[in-house]
Amino acid sequence: MTERVNERSGEVFDLGYQHYDGPREGRSRARIAIFNNGVRTVLGLGRGPKAKILPILLFVSAILPASIFVIILSVAGPAADFLPGPADYYQVVSLTLLIFTAIMAPELLTPDRRDGVLQLYLVRPLTATDYVVGRFLSFFVIVLALVYSGQVMLQIGLILAAADPVDFLRDNWLDIPRFLAAGIVVALFITVVPMAVASVTARRAYAAVFVIGLYFISTPVAAVLTSSECRHAEVTEERVGAGQFECEPVTGDAAKWFSLIAFAQTPIRINDMIFDNDNGDPVAMAAAELPAGVPIAWYLLMTAGPGFLLWWRYQRVRL
Amino acid sequence: MPALLEAIGLSKHYGSTIALESVSFSVQEGVTGLLGPNGSGKSTAIKLFLGLIRPTSGEALVLGEHPYDSVEGRARLGYMPEHEALPGSMTASEFLMHMAQVSGLPPSYARTRAADILRHVGLDEERYRPIGEYSTGMRQRVKLAQALVHDPVLVLLDEPTAGLDPGGREEMLDLIQRTGRGFGISMMLSTHLMGDVERVADSVIVLEGGRVAEEGAVSKYTQETETLDIEVDDKQEAVMAALTERGVNVASDGNMLVVENAGDAEYDAIRDAVADTGARLRRLATRRGTLTDIFRDATR
Repeated sequence: MTERVNERSGEVFDLGYQHYDGPREGRSRARIAIFNNGVRTVLGLGRGPKAKILPILLFVSAILPASIFVIILSVAGPAADFLPGPADYYQVVSLTLLIFTAIMAPELLTPDRRDGVLQLYLVRPLTATDYVVGRFLSFFVIVLALVYSGQVMLQIGLILAAADPVDFLRDNWLDIPRFLAAGIVVALFITVVPMAVASVTARRAYAAVFVIGLYFISTPVAAVLTSSECRHAEVTEERVGAGQFECEPVTGDAAKWFSLIAFAQTPIRINDMIFDNDNGDPVAMAAAELPAGVPIAWYLLMTAGPGFLLWWRYQRVRL
Repeated sequence: MPALLEAIGLSKHYGSTIALESVSFSVQEGVTGLLGPNGSGKSTAIKLFLGLIRPTSGEALVLGEHPYDSVEGRARLGYMPEHEALPGSMTASEFLMHMAQVSGLPPSYARTRAADILRHVGLDEERYRPIGEYSTGMRQRVKLAQALVHDPVLVLLDEPTAGLDPGGREEMLDLIQRTGRGFGISMMLSTHLMGDVERVADSVIVLEGGRVAEEGAVSKYTQETETLDIEVDDKQEAVMAALTERGVNVASDGNMLVVENAGDAEYDAIRDAVADTGARLRRLATRRGTLTDIFRDATR
């Protein structure tokens, strides 16, 4: 038996325009919205497949080295002590992460300026500072999570590969707060620098090329200026290393200062200080001769400076 | 009733360039046209009321507050910019939800509100398509929708019909009229097109060279130029003479007679003149001048 259809059930009501009388959460909601939208933009959520390629590559680049190390550890066990540990891990991944953040940071800022959406934000309960901070935090949180993910994977691999995982954890527990602290240092640097550059150009390609170029120029320049000239050591009463070499930096005592030029090494020096790590890189060795406060001050300058530029740029933006 | 917008001795200088000079006016509820040629200071006035720039001197008040300083106060203001201001990669639904939240609405309310407004502007069916695929007319509707999504008290529209074809322009003006008059959302419409103001606005402020040239109700201006057209089948000259005899200022305009500013006395005189002369009255109709006629000089 079929049910009789109510002929009136299909009525259409024109509700017209409805006024809104729900809650209004003002500036705090606006800030959260900018943050959430920034996260979605970076991860390519709600966009086509192309928008997800870079986030996936970024994620892979952050955890791939750790994955390889874990696989080797699982096969070789404690014998694989030649692998980079937690103290070296950020140096291994920082360059790749920096390249990806240099490419991705402009995506977060330039479309809003280019498409004119920024003017729509700034006529709402939101200041330019709210906007910049929201965008920065959204990027920073994602980069920090990626930076940590590789270290977490490496830590788990090291613990599981140890002959006695409990003993290993007891002996190396300090690595955990160290990698957490160093992760913030690295993530802050590789977030703020590309974002500052992205704030002054409307073209994503220019911003990305500038940051990547900065690395590829500053690294060899620093390497040359801190490189050493070696010659046969003279045999004296004090020096008995006949046939060995003695090396002097080509720039003499200034070499340690030239080491600061190595742009990508800026957060790694702090990482080495946190882990109390002897970095074998010649530029890092030159930097290690500097007073401890100098690399810290340089790092603060290289993060606070771009941070200020980013903030200042949006105070001056012409709409 | 307090003004929604108020300019008090408002000036804005860019170096030696004067964009606005000691301008004073107020905007009440309803639809107000801000009319003027390019460079008259319309966009500067809008930016000042939106809090995007600071005045050189004077005050720009929105709902009694200074928009540059009162960030929270902007939550009750809507803005539809003239130029492109939409993210091509987002869908209209996602964009409106986002803008509702940026205006302070919680996410669940923002979702409902976005759907309601997109239906209101006629984009219900297209809401899940990326905005980048929209036509110019559809993009203008999204711009209007984002200005309305948080149910503002006042919406500032900057050249809302710019770039639209005649059909799209009519639809946009109809939408503005419905929103402004039908739903009680006050609007200030900045445009250089007098026809747009005449079509939708209750009052008009005419800017020229950074100063207010005219200000008042649209009906006031059109009433000033109101004429009464008298068309008779015969005895036109006799009717004209009879009206002149009764002290009515009447002129001949081809096959009809025209009386300016006709009041009750003129209507009585016309009735008597037609009756006395025995002329057959074909048509008696009022005709109002357009804003184009009225402000032609001011905006030239």
